[in-house]
Amino acid sequence: MLFPTIEFSFFFSASLALIWALNPWNIVKKYALLALSLFFYASWDWRFLALLFASGAISYFVGLYVEGDKPGRRAVLALGVALDLGILCYFKYLDFFIAQAMNLANSLGLSLPLGFVNVTLPVAISFLTFHAISYIIDVSRGRLKASRSPVDVLLYISFFPHLVAGPIVRAHEFLPQLASPRRATDFAFGENMALILGGLFKKMVIANYLSVRFVDPVFTDPSQFSRFDLIMGVYAYAIQIYADFSAYTDIAIGVAGLLGYRFPQNFNQPYRALGIGDFWRRWHMTLSNWLRDYLYIPLGGNRHGTLMTARNLMLTMGLGGLWHGANWTFLIWGALHGAALVVDHGYRRSAFYQNVGRRAWVVPFDGLVTFHFVCFCWLFFRAPSLDAASAYLSGIVTDNGQPNTMPMVVWPLLAAGALTQVLPPDFRARLGGALDRAGWPAQVAFGAAAMFAVLAMAPSASAPFIYFQF
Amino acid sequence: MSPLLSRILVVYAILFLAWFAFPGGVVAWMDDHNRSGWLDAPRAFAGALDSASSAIGVKQVGEKLRATLAVWLEGDQG
Repeated sequence: MLFPTIEFSFFFSASLALIWALNPWNIVKKYALLALSLFFYASWDWRFLALLFASGAISYFVGLYVEGDKPGRRAVLALGVALDLGILCYFKYLDFFIAQAMNLANSLGLSLPLGFVNVTLPVAISFLTFHAISYIIDVSRGRLKASRSPVDVLLYISFFPHLVAGPIVRAHEFLPQLASPRRATDFAFGENMALILGGLFKKMVIANYLSVRFVDPVFTDPSQFSRFDLIMGVYAYAIQIYADFSAYTDIAIGVAGLLGYRFPQNFNQPYRALGIGDFWRRWHMTLSNWLRDYLYIPLGGNRHGTLMTARNLMLTMGLGGLWHGANWTFLIWGALHGAALVVDHGYRRSAFYQNVGRRAWVVPFDGLVTFHFVCFCWLFFRAPSLDAASAYLSGIVTDNGQPNTMPMVVWPLLAAGALTQVLPPDFRARLGGALDRAGWPAQVAFGAAAMFAVLAMAPSASAPFIYFQF
Repeated sequence: MSPLLSRILVVYAILFLAWFAFPGGVVAWMDDHNRSGWLDAPRAFAGALDSASSAIGVKQVGEKLRATLAVWLEGDQG
């Protein structure tokens, strides 16, 4: 059940009335939210509900044990994390590792008695694992108390707005919101409507058309396109992936908000970043914070000198890249970002940056270099294989001798995507505030007009969100 | 009416107007999902809404606009 579908509009309409009707009876409401979330997940494949229950049970029991000062709690915590990662690795990485082992053995003239497991990758398994690990580690660190309610823990992991592609909500942000009925003031109508409508436009118009009209053909067979098309294809993908992923999390935040629950922000105009460090403070912010808190800092962070900091950055970003999928292209994407973070880390602390790099005329170059580096890395992220990435780069160098074929419609789509990066940062809050102050006729008129515009422009079928596969 | 209820009704009004402007999608979706007849009642309502939208010309405006935009969004070449 994708967000921008008729199925979801019926599902959400029923959920909205039901959840607010049950609001005075908080326990009943939580059971209803859990049932809705399980139904939402089962709409892809009911068999994977077992995964949700397993992850919830691990989190619940490990959370109870690692709280406080019980003997062996570190071992139990390690076991809990290993079980969560074990589930993830089995479904997502086992075939990749088997393939690498067989390749290595073949190159050494050996034959390994291994076979592929060929399992279907469950939807949302990565985000589910992040939530589960975050819960038990935060409990063990004393950042929150272990929940005595298995329903709360399972609902935290499975709450349908964030279940499939985030944002990654921390337990200490979410569980307190389950403790009592939501107030009418938690129903932030204007800003949540703006998030949902804006998200629908970004996904159904910008991302869908960029993908279908230009990005998919260019990346499918780069040899058929000119240098100009290939370069524009990378820019178009940069806009497409931002519009696609930020749309999902905007709609998720808006849907949760209309149900009375607050989620953290996940994007903050990332292509305005000045430096790669700044980029990761603006792009997929909840993942960046997760990697920082549960991987980079436990590895030592920047506390043990330049070399160890570089190692920790490379490890964190390499694993962050591999999290996106079992493919060398993701590992290279992560390694490139890791290396850039190492350089950025050194540059921001250098005398050159202090004396020259902060001057007004240098700042635009900082932004341009950052944006183009990010675009270069997207090429590896989007390419289906290293050979395909190599062919794409080769086409940019040689031009392939092809005419320029980029459809004209790509220009306004790129402009619309760029506009999202240059609007005032508080634009959405101001629009939401204005909507809240307006009377219901204006709210209905604005919402209906925006929906009309999106539906008039949207293709008849919506492509899946890019981050569904992760 | 409480502010909460009025906001919920605004959400429903927006969704209803969107459905009224483009009723064909819901009718087609219900036809696809109604093999066992469990959607007969909502399908009848969707059909009535489709007829009402068509009778006052809203459906045609939406369809024409979609067709016009589709030519531009899906059809041009570089």
